[in-house]
Amino acid sequence: MSTARAVLLAGVFAAFALPSVSTAGDGASPATGGLTFERDVRPILKAHCFHCHGEGGKAKGGIDLRLRRLMLKPGDEGPALVPGKPGESRMLHLARTGEMPKEGKPLTPQQVSVLERWIQQGAPTARPEPEEVPAFVITEEERAFWAFQPIRPPAVPVVRDASRVRTPIDRFVLARLEVENLGLAPDASPAALVRRVTFDLTGLPPSPEDVEAFVARPTDDAYARLVDRLLASPAYGERWGRHWLDVAGYADSNGGVEADSERPWAWRYRDYVIRSFNADKPLDVFIAEQLAGDELAPPPSGDLPSEDLDRIVATGFLRMAPDPTGDGPADAVLARNQVVADTLQVVSSSLLGLTVQCAQCHDHRYDPIPQSDYYRLRAVFEPAFDVERWKAPAQRLVSLMPAADRKTAGDIEARAQVIDKEAQELHDRLIEQFVQKQLLLVPEAQRESVMAARKTPADKRTDAHKALLREFPTFQDHIILGEVDRDGANKVQEVRNRAAAERARKPADPMVHALVEEPGRNVATALFHRGDPQQPRDKVAPGLLAVMGLAGLPDAISSTNAALRTTGRRTELARRLVHPGNPLTARVLANRIWMHHFGVGIVATPSDFGALGERPTHPDLLDWLAHSLRSGGWKLKDFHRLLVTSTAYRQSTVHPEAQRVDPDNRLLGRARLRRLDAEGLRDAMLAISGRLNPEPFGPPGPVAVDPQGRVVAGRQKRDGNGDAVGVDGAQGAEFRRSVYLQVRRSTPLGMLEAFDAPVVNPNCEARAVTTVPTQSLAMLNDVFVVERARDLAARLHREVGDDAVARIERLWRLVYGKPPTTTERDGALAFTSRQAALISINAPNTANGPAKATGKPADVAPTPSEAALASLCHALLGSNRFLYLD
Amino acid sequence: MPAPSHFTGCGSRRHFVRASAFGLGSTALAWLLNKEGLLAAPVRPELEPRTHDLRLRPTHHPARARAMISILMIGGPSQMDLFDPKPLLAKRAGEPFPGELKYDNAGQASAKILPGLWEFRRHGQCGMELSTLLPHLGQVADDICLIRSMHTGVNNHGQSLYALTNGRITAGAPTLGSWLSYGLGSETQDLPTYLTLTHPSGLPLLAEHNWSNGWLPSIYQGTVVRPTEPRLLNLDPPPVLRGAPQQAQLEYLRDLNQAHREVHPGELDLEARIASYELAARMQDAAREAMDIRTESPATRRMYGIDDDKTRDYGTRCLIARRLVERGVRFVQIVNNGQSWDQHSNLYTALPDLCHRSDQPVAALVRDLKGRGLLDSTVVHWSGEMGRLPVIQNDGPKEKVGRDHNTYGFSAWMAGGGIRGGMTHGATDEWGHKAIQDVVTHHDYHATLLHLFGLDHTRLVYRRAGRELSLTDGKPARVVREILA
Repeated sequence: MSTARAVLLAGVFAAFALPSVSTAGDGASPATGGLTFERDVRPILKAHCFHCHGEGGKAKGGIDLRLRRLMLKPGDEGPALVPGKPGESRMLHLARTGEMPKEGKPLTPQQVSVLERWIQQGAPTARPEPEEVPAFVITEEERAFWAFQPIRPPAVPVVRDASRVRTPIDRFVLARLEVENLGLAPDASPAALVRRVTFDLTGLPPSPEDVEAFVARPTDDAYARLVDRLLASPAYGERWGRHWLDVAGYADSNGGVEADSERPWAWRYRDYVIRSFNADKPLDVFIAEQLAGDELAPPPSGDLPSEDLDRIVATGFLRMAPDPTGDGPADAVLARNQVVADTLQVVSSSLLGLTVQCAQCHDHRYDPIPQSDYYRLRAVFEPAFDVERWKAPAQRLVSLMPAADRKTAGDIEARAQVIDKEAQELHDRLIEQFVQKQLLLVPEAQRESVMAARKTPADKRTDAHKALLREFPTFQDHIILGEVDRDGANKVQEVRNRAAAERARKPADPMVHALVEEPGRNVATALFHRGDPQQPRDKVAPGLLAVMGLAGLPDAISSTNAALRTTGRRTELARRLVHPGNPLTARVLANRIWMHHFGVGIVATPSDFGALGERPTHPDLLDWLAHSLRSGGWKLKDFHRLLVTSTAYRQSTVHPEAQRVDPDNRLLGRARLRRLDAEGLRDAMLAISGRLNPEPFGPPGPVAVDPQGRVVAGRQKRDGNGDAVGVDGAQGAEFRRSVYLQVRRSTPLGMLEAFDAPVVNPNCEARAVTTVPTQSLAMLNDVFVVERARDLAARLHREVGDDAVARIERLWRLVYGKPPTTTERDGALAFTSRQAALISINAPNTANGPAKATGKPADVAPTPSEAALASLCHALLGSNRFLYLD
Repeated sequence: MPAPSHFTGCGSRRHFVRASAFGLGSTALAWLLNKEGLLAAPVRPELEPRTHDLRLRPTHHPARARAMISILMIGGPSQMDLFDPKPLLAKRAGEPFPGELKYDNAGQASAKILPGLWEFRRHGQCGMELSTLLPHLGQVADDICLIRSMHTGVNNHGQSLYALTNGRITAGAPTLGSWLSYGLGSETQDLPTYLTLTHPSGLPLLAEHNWSNGWLPSIYQGTVVRPTEPRLLNLDPPPVLRGAPQQAQLEYLRDLNQAHREVHPGELDLEARIASYELAARMQDAAREAMDIRTESPATRRMYGIDDDKTRDYGTRCLIARRLVERGVRFVQIVNNGQSWDQHSNLYTALPDLCHRSDQPVAALVRDLKGRGLLDSTVVHWSGEMGRLPVIQNDGPKEKVGRDHNTYGFSAWMAGGGIRGGMTHGATDEWGHKAIQDVVTHHDYHATLLHLFGLDHTRLVYRRAGRELSLTDGKPARVVREILA
């Protein structure tokens, strides 16, 4: 399966093709001129042939294709290569007939043609080939690949027309557009800009007042102040934390098997992420805490200062992968291995931008990542995961109870046990009283023997004892007090209740779903043959990917660290990731943030910067951004400011000239029209209808299945058999922001799932954006939308009373951020009056009572005019103008 | 049955065609607009934003099929235990396999020959040999074409499944159903033209990639039908709006969306969403009716096995598939859960159960379509993405034994829509290992299917970023004429 997933990841993005105008070439151009082995031929052979003819020294049929000179050696059936003689070169014949490769896709006609021309040209190499054949070669061409180059701040380009330039970003974008004789689109309207930037930074719509204030004075200063205010709002962390939770693969359940058991304390990690964003925690610290927080903090205990607690909680990042190991997986060894593999995939896709997981079973087919690199990276995590001493999710929870609380709890328990004892004694006394009463009914001569029988332990009783107890069964051991002395039983229960009340005062025992490495576990890592954990082969030492060392970053990681209790491998990894010599992480993060502001990354495949990924549309800009991010102390809020104050960001979505030349908008000649994402849509409907419960943090709001089969926010109502029979409210938790609702992998919230919220397995690197009729059905008929429309109508009543025009004005401002035009206003008025008439025909019994406030239960019928206003609200909430960000 | 050919579709119209996002029969208007589009002289036509819709489009040649029901049995159904009898395996049972084998899991591999575990019988006038695990399929043998020489050549579930569904071995390309929707348009205005019926135990391997529109516009995406009632959510309008008020609200919404679209020319997604609202509105009644099998006769329900716990799920989904096709849906996909046909072990117990659950329903589907005169124009397709090896995996007690992957030869069957019934096509070697005679690759399979629908696989292309992309991806692909009726 892992291979299937690897291919999927590589493939999803490989399908995006840049328009030819914007492809930033990296050299290979096999179409014309002299071909070389390294540049033109080797990538083909690596992808299709090395697996059997070279990798790991394997040379089927005696053929090794890794170097030109090796190809000259005759194999079992003659030479693979005869330079200058395509007709005699067996490799060409086999490729052309499709006999080779035996596995995988045949070579394309173009690839065959490259081979043929190369052989025809005498099979030239770019340079002398090495004497030794190394186990794994990184060629000059692979070294020259853009993503492995050091990040150097490029010069900011000069542009022909600087009148639109607000930031250096604009110069990079304009310079590229000017090559196509294009410019930037005009600025978006102030109202559109406020809406765009507010959703982008907070995931919520702007208030009408915010829009109006900016529209009244749309200066750059006012805009900067608006951006500052949005960045300071707690909603910012909820929005940007959610983006990171996608990459981390956050879920409140374990997944992996059908049981999909709950993961009850995962939310602490979610809160950590949100708090970190709101605190503008530098990304280098954020990364270090998530990869190695346990090594940066003292052993977990509730008495740690909050920053140390945070570090423990942060390691939840490494505990987000699906993990069925506590739910009886079919094969425990495989299941554990998959958890580790999924975690590595989360780490490498989020922080390295390479499909490292493709090298789990064999050398990477396209990128210079040997299989041993995968296991070097795994070795960094091995002591912490400690597969041999594996703990299932429930066993690995770490208690964060402070010592004082623990003592209090102990004291309370001791007191409760005293009460327990009191209850037991009372119980025993009452039973004895009952027995004594019963004894009066026994013939006097037998009383003594009956009591003797009763007092003899069951296994020591003689036949005579047993016979007696059969005759007088009320003296058997199991007398239930409640059945013989109701009042007495109640008295005992009162005492027991006192014990329970006492225990209820115990301080809570907070848990964390964390990764804490045990000191002294220097666990070795072996390369698994074909990725199979049952077939460990050579031992592998911890290290980075070799390609990361190309820019001068040391790639070995020490197995132990004398300064730490634990091996320190993850701490060292985190340090290297943010090291100026690492070309990957800063670019990957800068690109990801860019993607969330602009809709598509500068590299359109945010987790694959390798050969199969897309090339950057603006490589210099990406480097400039990555450099700015790092040199700015990894401060994210400053980075947002940089992006959203650029003219590139502030452009209009409409620019016919740019659209014609560049329909995919890879050159950024206009802003991209973007649909609200799932959380943005749900949260905006709650906010606009006045229902949003802003309560931050803590255990997630529950989700439940309603009688129509929809997964909704609320508490599951169950009958006596435990079967779901409906959904109750959850004390307002059902109106919390989507990031605070339970993420159950098996029952994703219907409204969110319909609009492409991912079911993470193991994580989500970039969301799909679909347009299917089930979304439209949800917008028309889902109870959530219908109720929000009704709430919104009630809000209009509440805020502006019965003035129909004022209501429409307010409605437009709330939903679209702009007042209606006259035409729109008149259209809405006409619609509501027509609609009221239609509704009263439809439902003549509808009461004509006055409008009521919100919170009206669904079974109270609204008046036709209320229903018509709700219908207007409903239409606006479903309209593209609301669903899309201009 | 050639598809109606009144409109040539992908013109360079600048105007959105109101009320005819699905070609609502207003042929004259369509003609006019198309004419206008042709008369307009775009500056750079290849970059002109295109309008995409589900109008019926002309075929390249007369079509034999107009609908398809594809039953995906993902995991690798064992061909030598179901479709492809190999007596030599029984003769050499337990001996080492003489050739080279590619294992997916060498750790549990053996080279011991494992004979087919079930007997084969001849069926129908054609005498097609099928295993005793498929008694019902045997009863429709004269209507199906059994292909014993399928080949994808990529020994991995994911890649092989992509090969079968989208013609590449990676994600991101449009699936067959999307290509058919794009190439032919929709015959129904009330239902999505591409639907996937999912299994109650969960999504199939690769989930939504099995019905992805890839880089085709999103109106060609498959819509998922839930495995249990309610099959589609949100079909009930709010009571207060039922009927005329909802219609009025939709019209008003469409006006809002039109106005919005006019200031956002060329945004395909806006267009798709407007169309999707109109479809959704009609689906409220139509989808419920289409998926309601209560009106089917007791005899029909019995035939599909809906009265039996084991066959109820496949029976219901097969019957719904027939109802959808009857109502003009182009492509219905019935999928299993995960990769449930992946018997690396437990072949002896798992395979009979899988067959029991699906054999009667799928045979009933073929028979029912035929009885209603729909089989002529409907392709039914049953296939895994791979088959299995002729040797033992997990050597041990009989109940534990399984077989490893094999994409070099596996079996599939098709029926109807211009496929010749009662024939067996192609063959594997004497071991059932590699397809050696009349090999059918996934590209051949796609080319043949498109051919049945009146489409030429080299001409059904989508222009994107300066390239013409097709389902067969420029790979060698041939229409397998031998299996055409």
